[in-house]
Parts: sequence; structure tokens; C-alpha cells
Amino acid sequence: MTPFEAALFVFVLATALTTAFLRDVLGVIVVFAAYSLGMALFYAFLLAPDVAMTEAAIGAGVTTLLLLLTLVKTVRETEGPRFERPNLPALLIMGGLLVALVLTIGDFPALGEAFDSKGWVWRNPAVTQYYIENAYEDTGVTNAVTAVLAGYRGFDTFGEAVVVFSAGIASLLVLKREVFTRE
Amino acid sequence: MSSDDSITSESEESTYTESQVIMTTVRVVAPFSLTYGLFLTFHGSGSPGGSFQGGAIMAATVLMIAFAFGIEPTREWLRNRTVVALAAGGTATFTLVGLIPVLYGRRFLEHRFYEDQFHIKTKWGLEAIEVGGVAPIVAGVITGLFFLIAAGLFDAEEVSEDE
Repeated sequence: MTPFEAALFVFVLATALTTAFLRDVLGVIVVFAAYSLGMALFYAFLLAPDVAMTEAAIGAGVTTLLLLLTLVKTVRETEGPRFERPNLPALLIMGGLLVALVLTIGDFPALGEAFDSKGWVWRNPAVTQYYIENAYEDTGVTNAVTAVLAGYRGFDTFGEAVVVFSAGIASLLVLKREVFTRE
Repeated sequence: MSSDDSITSESEESTYTESQVIMTTVRVVAPFSLTYGLFLTFHGSGSPGGSFQGGAIMAATVLMIAFAFGIEPTREWLRNRTVVALAAGGTATFTLVGLIPVLYGRRFLEHRFYEDQFHIKTKWGLEAIEVGGVAPIVAGVITGLFFLIAAGLFDAEEVSEDE
């Protein structure tokens, strides 16, 4: 682990804890945006640029703006203590979840290795290996992720696109605003 | 544009405050992020990223501009019809690309059909879905959702007055 990675890890952990315990909602939103940006850098380090871009644009950008807009409509509480008192049952549940998640780390292959401890290419050798070997020949695109999303799994992507579209329309109907119909 | 009175009312005066720093920063950054979004969308087949990321970054650019120059002027500039046309057009394009093979008795979204029938390479079928389908849907829905939530900031009467 390089010093930069270590610093990033501490930064993400600190912002995550601050998000959980800070009482002022505006402060929480700002710290949460910083957390998202830290995570985006982390994804870039883990060689997942697609996820990093999505996290930076949607996690740090769009979500923050939507939360800020929502916050404008509420009353901001300035009195009271700076930090939230931790809720014991919630703390226990999250601690248990943390332990369970940490226990699974050993099963993952090390960063940059194609094979995990059992000698498999991830969890789905037949499928993954097929995509890696045949994606270019079958679809003609060099980005295997695009080949899977738009080609092999095109029907799934179609479903997701329709879900995003319907969710947009549904929120429009639920919020009953005439944003779209007026010019 | 930035001094538009219609975006502020007596009760919501704090909603938009002009800031030279934010406006200048956004003016410098926006062309680059919009170009990057377009680049990701059109180069998704050959480099990291893709239409989802490209659409999201383009929408984030619009949100950034709205944040700096006021939401209401941006909405008037962009026109709500554009936002709906993006989301609905993207879904329609995706559906059409999927349905044309079915009309010829092949399977839904069968990319190889286009090569057999019209000598269009499979690559272009994927590009059509990515550029014409996913990117506009993502960009349209994000921008629409943003304007939708922002619309609650103004009273319904006030909104109809400034038309």
C-alpha cells in the first residue's frame, strides 16, 4: 500500500464516520460528497474507471445537488450538540455486518491477480472466460464491458433502460409537478 | 440571466445567490466536462467508460450550470421538451433497434441480423444502443429529476407567472 493509498483510505474512513455522526444536515451532505469523491479515486486505483466515473458524476455530483435542493425546503437546526449520539442497536447491527463483510475479503483474489485462492477466474469461469476470448470476434468492439452490456446482455440493459425511464416518469407523476408539460 | 428576478421571492431569497467564484469556475470547467461526456459516449466501444457514464457526466454539467447561474433560467434555456425528448427518444431508439429483427422473424435485439440483412456490422448496432439509447435516457432522466425537485422551490402560482 503506497502512502497515497493509505491517506485515501484514512480520508474515506474519516468522512464516512463523520457522515454517520455529524448532526448538522448541511455539513453531512458536504462531507458525504467528499466521501463519494474519495471512493471515486479508490475505484480508479482498483482499475475500475467506469465505476469511478459513475461515482464521481452521480455520487459526488448529482446526489449532492438533489440532497441540497431537498434541504432548502426544510428547516435547518443549528442548536444542540455537534455530533449525533450513536444508537446502540444500530451500532451492533452495523458492527455485525462489518465483521461479516471483512470475513469475505479473504476469498477475493489479490489486486491485479486473475485467479482467486481456489484457482478460478472470479466466480464464473465459463462465462467470464468466454467473454474475454470471444467479445472482439463476436461484436467488433474492443471494450469488453460494452460488448457485454450492449451485446451479450443487451436484453438486460434494455430492461434497465426502461426501468430508469419508467422511474423518471413515475416520480413525475407522484410529485405531480408540471415541469415537463409547460414551456 | 443571472439577475433574473423570477427565481427569487420574498420567502425564498436565499435560494439563489450570485457568486463570481462559482460562476467563473463553472464557465471554465463546463466546456471540458461536456466534451468529456460526449467523448465517453462516442468512444465507449473502444475505451473505458461508456454511454451511461457519458450521459451522467453531460447531465452533471447541466446541473452544474444550473447551480451557478440559477435553476429557473437554465430550465428556460434547456426547455422541458428537450429533456422529455431525450428520455423518451432514447427508450424509443433502444426499442426500435431491438424490434426491427423481430419484424423479420428473428429474435429481439439480435445484432447479427443487421449484418446478415443490411451488411451493418454488429459494432454499429451496439453503438446505436449506447449512443442513441442509454446516454439520452440517463441524461434526460437525471436532468428531469433535478428540475422536478427544484420546481418545488417555487410556488405553483409563481411558476406560472413567469412564463
